[in-house]
Amino acid sequence: MAEPYMRVENIVKKFGPFIALNGVNLEVYPGEVHALLGDNGAGKSTLIKTLAGVHAPTSGQIYIEGQPANFRSPRDASNAGIGTVYQDLALNQLMSVTRNFFMGREITNAFGSMKMDEMDKIAHEEMLKIGIDFSDPTQAVGTMSGGQRQTLAIARAIHFGARVLILDEPTSALGQKQQMEVLKTIKRVRARGDIGIIFITHNEIHSKLVADRFTFLALGQVIGEGTKAELEGQDIRRLMAGGADIGQLEKEFAEL
Amino acid sequence: MSDRSESDRLQRESWLQSTIRRPEIGAFIVMIVIIVALLFASNGKAFNALGLKNNIKIISQFGIIALGAAMLMIAGEFDLSIGSMIGFAGMAMAMMLKWGLPFGLGAATPFTAFAVTLVMTLALGWFIGWVVVKSGLSSFIVTLAFLFFLRGVTEVSYRLINQSTQISGLPDFKEESWFANIIGGEVFGWFYNAWFALGKWVEGMGIDRTEQWFLLGGNLNRRGEQWVEGFDARFFWFILIAVVAWFVLSKTRMGNWIYATGDNKEAARANGVPVNSVKIGLFMFTAFCATMFAACQVFDTNTSDAAKGNLMELFAIAIAVVGGTLMTGGFGSMLGVVFGAITVGLVSNAVFFIPEIDGAWFRVFLGAILLAAVFANERIRKRITGGI
Repeated sequence: MAEPYMRVENIVKKFGPFIALNGVNLEVYPGEVHALLGDNGAGKSTLIKTLAGVHAPTSGQIYIEGQPANFRSPRDASNAGIGTVYQDLALNQLMSVTRNFFMGREITNAFGSMKMDEMDKIAHEEMLKIGIDFSDPTQAVGTMSGGQRQTLAIARAIHFGARVLILDEPTSALGQKQQMEVLKTIKRVRARGDIGIIFITHNEIHSKLVADRFTFLALGQVIGEGTKAELEGQDIRRLMAGGADIGQLEKEFAEL
Repeated sequence: MSDRSESDRLQRESWLQSTIRRPEIGAFIVMIVIIVALLFASNGKAFNALGLKNNIKIISQFGIIALGAAMLMIAGEFDLSIGSMIGFAGMAMAMMLKWGLPFGLGAATPFTAFAVTLVMTLALGWFIGWVVVKSGLSSFIVTLAFLFFLRGVTEVSYRLINQSTQISGLPDFKEESWFANIIGGEVFGWFYNAWFALGKWVEGMGIDRTEQWFLLGGNLNRRGEQWVEGFDARFFWFILIAVVAWFVLSKTRMGNWIYATGDNKEAARANGVPVNSVKIGLFMFTAFCATMFAACQVFDTNTSDAAKGNLMELFAIAIAVVGGTLMTGGFGSMLGVVFGAITVGLVSNAVFFIPEIDGAWFRVFLGAILLAAVFANERIRKRITGGI
């Protein structure tokens, strides 16, 4: 088995007396999709914020290519090759595709003016690579569909050096067809072979479609993990619901 | 069917369509209507040699501060202290010219008076911006506080140091100081020289100046000499600030940061845009524009008083909105603001060329186009964001 690009060892995160994460382990391999599943409040958001450098872990260690890494800011994490695509995508609706793509990292000449043609070209090529042929890079992001925006945010993260791509519920709040587009995009990024993807989702079907490896979180702890093959036959739905027994719920329903 | 992708649903627009949908188009059409209406209503007087000079003066005054206000609005903030900043800067400059530099540093030259004032106003702009970004309070309330604060400081300083709230009878610095001359003197004399030469030539063909309607009198006075020598220097500063503001906003990295800051601050910050620095920098830019407004006035008229710049912050914001700037930030155009300044400037001055109308109609007109512009801008925003 190849070296994991990122390894998370025994991460604990406490907010005062509240234990958000209680010793979480995670491995992300290049060219793999790692699905991170769990119910609301399971600690998924805290975990990705820790990986993205927003929170510092209380204890535990993150390793990048086997070397211990400490992120003091989101910038540190981004420099270490961790690209986070949050649910709100960090896009500006009124600005054009290109201006969003290069927001904060514009290509300029010696006089500080932007090389717009070059930027248009790069934005177009990067998005074409993962599946959107954009006719007009001056189009405002506000006129794009949710799936297209997702693709733009992913293409941006990859272009600026992401080796681990964290996708925070990319398929929620999208229509059926657009969800499929995003899953296709994930598959295309996976096919490049050099990028590991952490795919956070509520949706069991989506995770089964694209993921190679699964981690289930409940109440800040890992309650199940393994590759697709290892988990075959296990009840993914039961793990997703935080281990709660659906049968138990049916019994309670009957009593009401 | 299967090779159709989502991006195909966006129709490519023709040149005409995309021109009509530009945000500046409303301001442009209103401007043209006003120019044509004023030309005929004033029987050409609004655009004869002196009329043009006077109109350009007002337009440039409005334009200089409106450009600053618009830049700041695009970044999502307001500055209500512009008018008081004009009063403060004018007071500081005139007082230094009359009573010398502070801390007993000796007599002031026009340049040192301007430089010391600019340092003070930029520091104030920085401080206002710093309070806004650090407190997280609405810039509306913070700058409203500075509207009162600075106007009060201006009046108190006048009374304490000068014993009177106005300064007049300063020497005409333009005659000796090149610096006073480029700020308060005249520019683009070649334009009026050419106009005069053309009028003279047409007169030589036997058409008297009163009959030169198509040349609006040909820049000839009653004795047949050259009437007007040049535009006020503020015209030059207006053009310069407009070109620089346009270039920065639409062509540079800083411009991208300004749009990003005003549109969605958190998204901009997540992508590494220094949101706070952008805002503080723009508060300093509005302070700079107010200082230029005041400097042009002081060196042009060699006077100053405590009421200078009163209500100017509201005109600046109104012009920015008429020019297509969104109240919510993230969108706007410097070209539109220039059109807005021309429109509002011409109408505010119209009473001098059409004496039969009541000057208060100006405010009726401004209120009406302001309201129309807000609706038009909202439509543009909805179109871009897909109706959200």
